Amino acid sequence: MTTHFITAEIDLTESPVAMHQTIEAELAQQGEPLRWAVTEVDVDQQKAVVEAIVTVGERQEA
Amino acid sequence: MRRSYTTVLIVPTGIGAAIGGYAGDALPVARSLAQVSDCLITHPNVLNGAQLYWNLPNTLYVEGYGLDQFAAGKWGLAPVHQNRVGLILDQGIEVDLRVRHLQAADAARATLGLHLTDYIVTDAPLGVELKAAASGATWGTIANPDSLLRAAERAIQEAGADAIAVVARFPDDLGSEALQSYRQGKGVDPLAGAEAVISHLIVREFQLPCAHAPALSPLPLDPTISPRSAAEELGYTFLPCVLVGLNRAPRFVEYSTDPQQDQIWADQVDAVVVPATAFGGSAVMHLGRSRSAASPLIIAVRENHTRMQVPPELLGISAVRVNSYLEAVGMVAAHRAGVYPAALNAAIAPLQWLDDIK
Repeated sequence: MTTHFITAEIDLTESPVAMHQTIEAELAQQGEPLRWAVTEVDVDQQKAVVEAIVTVGERQEA
Repeated sequence: MRRSYTTVLIVPTGIGAAIGGYAGDALPVARSLAQVSDCLITHPNVLNGAQLYWNLPNTLYVEGYGLDQFAAGKWGLAPVHQNRVGLILDQGIEVDLRVRHLQAADAARATLGLHLTDYIVTDAPLGVELKAAASGATWGTIANPDSLLRAAERAIQEAGADAIAVVARFPDDLGSEALQSYRQGKGVDPLAGAEAVISHLIVREFQLPCAHAPALSPLPLDPTISPRSAAEELGYTFLPCVLVGLNRAPRFVEYSTDPQQDQIWADQVDAVVVPATAFGGSAVMHLGRSRSAASPLIIAVRENHTRMQVPPELLGISAVRVNSYLEAVGMVAAHRAGVYPAALNAAIAPLQWLDDIK
């Protein structure tokens, strides 16, 4: 398993629940989301910036 | 007869929160909110003051990943009388520093009566790396997450731990501008983001309470340290608050159609208190999801500035804005008492006929 810092740009949605699902689906394309946050919202562009740590790969035995 | 009132206090870690972004300096807020709530749920960043801590009997110490799962309704919280706390030490910690941490752990056993299992040393240095993102938030990665998870598995299976304290060696950064700012009560905690990654990994993999304390070389004496950062200048370790928090941290339980009476679930939350610019986290997005009458009171605190630029309105979250935590405490007290907050103002507008305002 490895840990990676990534950023993603997400389309704004009307409800926080839909937004949450969109974020997790986007992050899942790059690994398994461990911790993330929307750090900026651009209303004009209807975009949100997300910073995240994802893990890639399975846990290895010694 | 009324039902219990549950408040969630969130001060996200590593985003430069003016209150709670330093050495456990949101603890006075937690103490105050605990007085006007039957149950307060908050996280290590709020309650951990290195060698300082405060016992709040009605407060649940819930690590951030677990708090996210709780807010999503996936996990419930089951209060306990005491956990057996397993201690994991990073192999990258020097011998003298390891002894300091073991002495802190033994002191917590002898002086506070905590139950610790025998300790584990990771089979490789964890290799913590610190990062600052474009937003200003700090994050981090670890080079050997598998070693951390193997140690946690041993602590649980061989030592019988039901909560995990991790001490990882963090890079010493004596001359950095970020560290100097932090010690002055400005800027962003350079360690916080990486600390959260360590505890999140263990909670995600094993679904039990976990918290982290960094191991660092002692810093040179500086008489100008900010009071907000001063708790981390008191000794050789930041471990005591972590062990105290984990001693009674609630266990995580998965959804069941027949939950036990003392379990707490997201639909029992009555109020959520968050810095007004930091609504972009997973937990608050879940808890702020509904505009129905049964949804919790969401309180946005203006005075707690952060590096984030995510107010509730931009994410479709309906929140009440207050200027300070003093106001937030009053808002929670009124809500719990069944008092409509506007009734506390001097001017109260008369009721209108609904047909007139349609």
